Amino acid sequence: MMPKAIACFENVSRRFGDLVAVNDANLELFQGDVTAILGENGAGKSTLMKLLYGVYPPSNGRILIDGEPSAITGPADAMSNGVGMVFQNFSLFPALTVRENLLLAWPKTPFWASERNKGTSEVLANLTRLAPHINPHSKVANLSVGEQQLVELCKVLNISARIVILDEPTSVLTPAEARHLHGFIRQIAGEGVSVVFITHKLVDVEACADKIAIMRQGKIVDVSIRGQRSMSEIVTLMMGSDVKRTMSPPALPKKPVERLFLNKICADAPGMSLKNISLSVASGEVVGLAGVAGNGQALLAEVIAGIHPVTSGDVVLDGQNLVRRNQMETLATPLGYIPEQPRENAVVESMTLAQNLSLRTLASGGIDVNSDVQALLTRFHVNPPEKDRQASTLSGGNLQKLVSAREFGSPRAAILACYPTMGLDLSAIQTIYLEMFAQAEAGAAVLWISEDLDDLIAGAHRIAIIREGQVVAVKINDGSLTRDKLGALMTGMNLDELVA
Amino acid sequence: MMQVNRDSILVVSATILAFFLLMVGFFMLLGKPPFEMIGMLLTYALGDGYSISQTLAKTTPILLCALAAAVPGRLGLISVGAEGQLYAGAITGTAVVLAAPGLPAALMLPAMLTSAALGGAFYGYVPGILRARLHINETITTLLLNYVTVLWVNALVFGPWKDPASQGWPATISFPQAAILPALPASRIHLGLLIGIALAIALHFFFTRGASAQKIRILAGNRKVGEMFGLNFGTWVIMLMAMGGAIAGIAGIAEVSAIQGRLQPTISIGYGLTGFLVSWLSRHQPLIILPVAFLVGGLVAASDALQLFAKVPAASAIILQGLLFAVALAVPGFIKSMRPGYER
Repeated sequence: MMPKAIACFENVSRRFGDLVAVNDANLELFQGDVTAILGENGAGKSTLMKLLYGVYPPSNGRILIDGEPSAITGPADAMSNGVGMVFQNFSLFPALTVRENLLLAWPKTPFWASERNKGTSEVLANLTRLAPHINPHSKVANLSVGEQQLVELCKVLNISARIVILDEPTSVLTPAEARHLHGFIRQIAGEGVSVVFITHKLVDVEACADKIAIMRQGKIVDVSIRGQRSMSEIVTLMMGSDVKRTMSPPALPKKPVERLFLNKICADAPGMSLKNISLSVASGEVVGLAGVAGNGQALLAEVIAGIHPVTSGDVVLDGQNLVRRNQMETLATPLGYIPEQPRENAVVESMTLAQNLSLRTLASGGIDVNSDVQALLTRFHVNPPEKDRQASTLSGGNLQKLVSAREFGSPRAAILACYPTMGLDLSAIQTIYLEMFAQAEAGAAVLWISEDLDDLIAGAHRIAIIREGQVVAVKINDGSLTRDKLGALMTGMNLDELVA
Repeated sequence: MMQVNRDSILVVSATILAFFLLMVGFFMLLGKPPFEMIGMLLTYALGDGYSISQTLAKTTPILLCALAAAVPGRLGLISVGAEGQLYAGAITGTAVVLAAPGLPAALMLPAMLTSAALGGAFYGYVPGILRARLHINETITTLLLNYVTVLWVNALVFGPWKDPASQGWPATISFPQAAILPALPASRIHLGLLIGIALAIALHFFFTRGASAQKIRILAGNRKVGEMFGLNFGTWVIMLMAMGGAIAGIAGIAEVSAIQGRLQPTISIGYGLTGFLVSWLSRHQPLIILPVAFLVGGLVAASDALQLFAKVPAASAIILQGLLFAVALAVPGFIKSMRPGYER
């Protein structure tokens, strides 16, 4: 006899106005199973799971939990019914410590939760198991994105959820952290939890899925058991056509001309300081900057973009100094700059897509939006490509595309791209890389911050490694670089330790 | 321009209906005949020439203070300093009159108004620079600075600026005729109202057209992005705080000159805070502030009269204002939540 499904979607649909986000979905979740929901941006993966989590009610169809129609009315109710969800946008309080955040979300927290209260030590049990490197007394604001995600996951595990939904958890993790997470997911599935893993990365599926549901344009187009389908079949189902991910970095110019100089940069921010960072990027060259999140790459990016002041050192592009010396000064960055987390750092959500694409013009006193915005939206596959739509209504992936459209849309002297493909699906990643390499081909100096070592190895001419605010190595990518070599440099461990 | 559609008509009529019902309840609690009282309110607000003149006299400082809060509000700042800036403008404007009482009107009025605007601007500039350079919350500083100028006025009119002929009454000398803002004959509708309306229209264009409008929108929407493209948030904070202060300063001298005729301790009956609420109700949109300020001005004027003639408690005016603001804030949200497809 088949085991009984813990949760079951029956012909579930969800509409937002004219948009059908989920179209007639049928899916069963079982105890102890890891179900991967695979699909491109906007395929309806998150919406489907938000229906289970009670964020929205379904427009049609019904959801059964333990065979009974779900009576979940909202996230709080979902949590008390043993359904927990970790979102792409975290719900942590940055000003509080890790432990305080966990206590706030924990149903068993006593009224008086002091440090000495023995009853509260249990709240840290999952954290110690999953992420022993995170200090429970550090403020969440000082954690890297990857670490915050782990805290968020611990919050959900602390409510003893029977169903744990993870919304693209690995998009913000380093490869090592992701592997750790995969292992942990197998572990909690082994303990009988039903895990739903929303992703568009095949690595995740390969590493830990028992069952793979593929969504395209709101529909569940295929559900298969692990091993039933080859990876290329899965990709085909996901994309709707046979698209292979290929990377062809531009050829390096014969005589490289140095264009972007970082000269002995020192800078300080709470919890992080940069020490004597020097690096130069030639015209037409793509230099990758690899590092575990929270090792200073975010600060370095802000320094180069002229947002965070330096204590000493320069960044020079074509003879022009880009850094600011103090907080009062402001300068418009001449770089094509893609910061991490576009929603917070790169778009004005209250403005339209057209205005967001024209921010350079508007900020320097222009009144009209650029004329070629419609073409840009199409070229970068921003969905929906409506130039008068407000940016706040776009999904994270589409905001990322919007920012790429603005920054890569016209030729730049230099590019600074931080995780430019984060949260994007395969075909969008392809577009971003093509555009970035096209900039290099046209003579831009490209500095590319990423954690995706495979992509860096495939696409960068040189790879610099940043650790604890210092550039510890710059390697020429001559074909001898491997993930493990770079990983060892990133973590400061030697290779043997890494293998063990 | 303001978009008039079925939704806003529904919101406005529902707000008026809810406010009406609450007023009925309020007067019944007071033991007064509710419909008669509401009828009296309407009469005292708009019934005849005199009532309208009273309403517009109250509208003027509320309008100016609302604009004063709206200007920094457009950048996302929460300035509650209009009250203090109003007093600051009253002081610096009065200083001109006291220093040169013999000036002809053609010189006196511009000098007095400019000086008042500068005084108010300075009083907005201080919390502005504290916010821009030292990251000190502008809401707290503007709130606290309000108390300071009120006390400065007291210190001056009880001390060096006291009219020696006033026999202990704390006030300056009566303003000479040249220092009184021109008003419509036999009414209290003065030049300040015209200035307020002109400023509202000018600000509407300032905030919706042109380069500054876009820069302010970018910085208000995402400060980091603005700075990435070379906009200096601090500079704009200081500029808009000072601009708002200048407008409130004009409200101050207008009250002193046109209504009171001299500087004395109570120039304002909370116009600063009322203006702040009007600005937030109108979402800092100057063209919406205009009618809202008129409505609230009418309510203030009429409940003053009601207190006098119908023997309702003095606090009624404040209670009615409070009811109006609460209703105006709650009703749109309530209607939105009733719509099909509303998501929590």
